Amino acid sequence: MKISTKLLVIVALTVTEISLTLWSIVEISKGATFHQLNTRHLKYNAIFSEQVDELSIGHAVDATMLKDSIQQIKQQPIDCLDQVNFLNRFIMRQIGTIHALEICRKDIVDSNAALALVDRFENGTIDGDMLVLELKKFVHIFNENSSMFEGPTNDTVSFVLRTMIPMVVFISLFNIIFIGYMSRSISGSIRSLITLVSKQGNELDKVIEQNVTGELKELLDVTKERLTHEIMMSEVNKLLEGVVKTRTESLEKANSELEQFAYRTSHDLKAPLTSTKGLARFIIEDIKSGQLENAIDDAEKIAQQMEKLEDLVIGILSLTQASSTGGEMNPIDLQNITESAKEFHKVALNTKNIKFFAQVSFESPMLSEEVRIKQIIDNLVSNAIKYSDENKPECIVKVHAYETELAHVVEVEDNGLGIPESRQGEMFEMFKRFHPNVSVGSGLGMSIVKKHMDSLKASIDAKSSKNGTRFTLTFPKREIV
Amino acid sequence: MNEVGVLVVDDNEIDRYILLRHLRQCGIEHVVEQEDGSSALQFLQDFEHQKNVYGKKFPPRIIFLDINMPHINGFDFLEKFSDLRQTHNFDACIIMMYSSSEREEDKERVAKFGFVQEYLIKGEITPDQLKDKIKPFLDKK
Repeated sequence: MKISTKLLVIVALTVTEISLTLWSIVEISKGATFHQLNTRHLKYNAIFSEQVDELSIGHAVDATMLKDSIQQIKQQPIDCLDQVNFLNRFIMRQIGTIHALEICRKDIVDSNAALALVDRFENGTIDGDMLVLELKKFVHIFNENSSMFEGPTNDTVSFVLRTMIPMVVFISLFNIIFIGYMSRSISGSIRSLITLVSKQGNELDKVIEQNVTGELKELLDVTKERLTHEIMMSEVNKLLEGVVKTRTESLEKANSELEQFAYRTSHDLKAPLTSTKGLARFIIEDIKSGQLENAIDDAEKIAQQMEKLEDLVIGILSLTQASSTGGEMNPIDLQNITESAKEFHKVALNTKNIKFFAQVSFESPMLSEEVRIKQIIDNLVSNAIKYSDENKPECIVKVHAYETELAHVVEVEDNGLGIPESRQGEMFEMFKRFHPNVSVGSGLGMSIVKKHMDSLKASIDAKSSKNGTRFTLTFPKREIV
Repeated sequence: MNEVGVLVVDDNEIDRYILLRHLRQCGIEHVVEQEDGSSALQFLQDFEHQKNVYGKKFPPRIIFLDINMPHINGFDFLEKFSDLRQTHNFDACIIMMYSSSEREEDKERVAKFGFVQEYLIKGEITPDQLKDKIKPFLDKK
């Protein structure tokens, strides 16, 4: 049963109890009124009787006074009948006291007869002696009526007292017990709900659905909805804060990278231009002074500087492309890419007498962006060749590719000059060159490799010593989307 | 012709060549070239040996130092040279930075070393300006 229904029943029971109690009081007080009316009836009859006695000892007849007394007597049964309602009649009929009302009606009829008698005396139809004689009879009749009325009135009042008081007591007791039961039931359901909700390790939704009904369920549903909304909002806010923080950090990083890039780029682009400017001035001076050999040397140096500048521009372009995202993922033929790199560097490999080994043993196809993989392998192989160590008995460049459970791994290894230990932290920085006297380069190769690896969400690890360098590229496996 | 010794530390061959020609125009002929901070430090550390080889022209009166170099860059060189000055007598030796970097932070970073006297920017310094800059250090000899 709903809590509201239970409360409604409690209110209805209380109202019934109060109504019954009030009605009992009204009915009991009505019995007192009937007794009072009968007492008055007797009182006025006693006055009437005195007046009749005075007439009998010779006093003059005062018809008006007699009529007034008779009217007073008559008024009592009239009032009595007025007070009786349908329910009283029903009860009186059931307990056999309904004749009390007949007595009232008879008393009215008797009063009317007495009034008619006084009228006849006034008209002279009867004389004084006759009047007194007849009136004495009426005194007797009114007395008799009063005595007869007393019995049923007493019976009715005592019946009401006998029945109503126990009924009121019974209903009150019932109410106390029932309201107590209802209160326990309401507080019990609230308590068991609290226990249910505070118990850990159950599915709250299911438990509520099975065990809770009515307003409590409504309350829980509304609360749940509200809480869910609030939690969601707070989660969303947290998430947004996180996103904003990450974005800000990534923007700050990008900004600082861009600043660094702009500085390094302008610095390294400027260097060959500055040199060229100086060299050009020398050429002018040398031509003027007729030192043409010097002028030719300087012009050659200018050509070298321009080549360097060109390399730089190409490198910067590749680097910019390496930073962009969203290439197509395809199965990679690493064997082919490695062979192409070997072919491309054939002349250098032969000239420097470098042995090139390649072993690709993939069981499943490696999915990646071919253009990026090509540039990565190309740069690493090219570096391995450039910085080979001619003091070693045999120069080796080795590409070894294999597969683990989680990733495709490519190792590019050489026994070349290695990267100085103190500078290994700068390996992937732009424009970093560790052996400028060995080979001319833009110093961008490893930055490009790193950018590609970052874009592919792959990792690169380097181990370098005087015995050589080994780069390990780890490409986590992924499904084709 | 001046008898002072000068050390040029720069990994860029062309830049060394340009500076050398400018120095020659200023009358300086005795120039030792080093292409990296580490080799330059090694050169300076062999103090007694160099003194025997170069005589009065060692230690160099002026060191022209590039910043952006492999292995040991200009900043690292300054730190190490500062230590070297504790053990060897380089009191008469001053440094002129010779870099293409125009960054204020680079200029501030080298300024804390008392023996760094000038910050010259490659490509901007003319032979005449260079002459003015080095003149005070030549007169003392």
